[in-house]
Amino acid sequence: MRRNVRTVDLGGAHAIVLHRPHPVVTALTRQLQAVGLKVDACWPELQADALAADFVFFDADMGFDEQFPWTQGEAPMPLIALIGSEAPGRVEWALSTGANAQILKPIGDSGVYSALLIASHAFEARQALAANVADLRRRLGERQTVVQAVVRLMESSGSEQAAYAALRAEAMDARISLEEAASRVLARINCPTQGFPKGGAA
Amino acid sequence: MKRIVTLGLLYSRSGSYARISEACLTGAENAIARLNADPTRSIAFESVSRDPGGNVDLYGPLCEEILAETPARHIIGCVTSWSRKEVIPTLEKYGGTLWYAVPYEGFEASDHVVYLHSCPNQHLLPLLNWTFPTYGRRGFLTGSNYIWGWEMNRLARETILAAGGDVLGERYLPIGAVDVDRMIDEIRATAPDFILNSLIGPSSYAFLKAYAALGESDARFRPDNCPVLSCNLTECELGEIADFAEGLIATGPYFRQEPRAFGSSHEAAADCAVQALADLLEDRTSEQSLNIGDLLQSPAGLNSGIDAKTHHTDQPVLIARVQDGAFRVVFDGGVLPGDPYLTRPVPVGAHHQLRIVS
Repeated sequence: MRRNVRTVDLGGAHAIVLHRPHPVVTALTRQLQAVGLKVDACWPELQADALAADFVFFDADMGFDEQFPWTQGEAPMPLIALIGSEAPGRVEWALSTGANAQILKPIGDSGVYSALLIASHAFEARQALAANVADLRRRLGERQTVVQAVVRLMESSGSEQAAYAALRAEAMDARISLEEAASRVLARINCPTQGFPKGGAA
Repeated sequence: MKRIVTLGLLYSRSGSYARISEACLTGAENAIARLNADPTRSIAFESVSRDPGGNVDLYGPLCEEILAETPARHIIGCVTSWSRKEVIPTLEKYGGTLWYAVPYEGFEASDHVVYLHSCPNQHLLPLLNWTFPTYGRRGFLTGSNYIWGWEMNRLARETILAAGGDVLGERYLPIGAVDVDRMIDEIRATAPDFILNSLIGPSSYAFLKAYAALGESDARFRPDNCPVLSCNLTECELGEIADFAEGLIATGPYFRQEPRAFGSSHEAAADCAVQALADLLEDRTSEQSLNIGDLLQSPAGLNSGIDAKTHHTDQPVLIARVQDGAFRVVFDGGVLPGDPYLTRPVPVGAHHQLRIVS
């Protein structure tokens, strides 16, 4: 998959650096400001406004789970790990945070811009994938509803094929998923006076 | 008694972009001579020069030679982005600074480089914005096969498509290669509205020669119908190609005018480098050994016109057409600050309040 990397949204974006005062923070801040981001550094706790930040860079050497005010692995923005020690335990912990990109310490003159682009891209890809999985899971959970609706529709249409076709037609007409149409059919049959969406009875 | 400051010069006097090197060297050497003769100056420059001969792998070692074996901490040099990227790790190691006097493709803001020529928001984007309403939005992209050509064409493609235009072809040649027939055939077949030429040196000369011949035989490819656009051609190369560059359109911060100040924008930028460095070091609180980040925080640094965050500079946006063998400015887009990552808001009306110079 080849995607255009968008460069325009970085201007004025807010980055938080979760690292104790250190030359790493100075070098990182310089690079981020050159790209056009606003930068705040903090340690050891993320401030409340971190939830609204566009990027969070965190120290993978001294970091710990309680620093992040969100469920592990579910950060609402791209995360970038600042890795000094490459000990497996620390790399494992950095992975557990759901980091979308990494920069090796010490930080010199470059590396931040590509990390921003890679982290944004990976974050968006992961968000899209998570949304897809959630949708598939939900539909999987509705299998029984679909079976029930087809069975009930067979009572009037006679065959399984015709019942299924009627269900599909209903979904397509209302531009809703098959699962949603099945719920509507069951609601209508089980409780006829409330079965139609508002204004949909005509 | 003047304080002596050693200044490194790192330019290839041979190879495919030697003419640009020579223009930069002329600018730097003239500026050094002028400042050294100026009795009001407390410093004088002595230069140390190294010549990589157009071999990209020699830039790193020769940069190291200057920084390790001489007192120089400031180097004026490099033409290609490739060579610039080669010296940055060495500059970082020694705390040195490169003063870079040619246009480049942006997306860099090294703490060890000062960028004294235009980047895309100062050259490519204004040039395309000027070209679209005049010639159209269907472009053909050419370039030398390294970062300058790649990134210029990527940005051009993005800009053309965003404006509702089309990219009809994109072709590259290795640096120094001159087999342009395929490109010319494709241009004839696709008949674009304009060609963006990011080839350098002999490749560019061969292309312009062949394209002029195409225009002779087919009016669709004459400059008034389908011009060649360039963000890197200046007077220093025009002599080589004057016979077949008529009608070429180039953008840059400076074009030669009478009375003549500089031969080209490269010469002007190198002059500006020496002048700016002298002003920074003239300040008694500043020492040669300070790195550029610290120098730019000094009072002289804050007045230097060099942006402390990006190390880029304000540049005039001029568009010129080759007419009777010389560049004539046809459009003056004012002065724009450098925006290497294209993340800063475009100045209000930057593309509208402009005046036509005819």
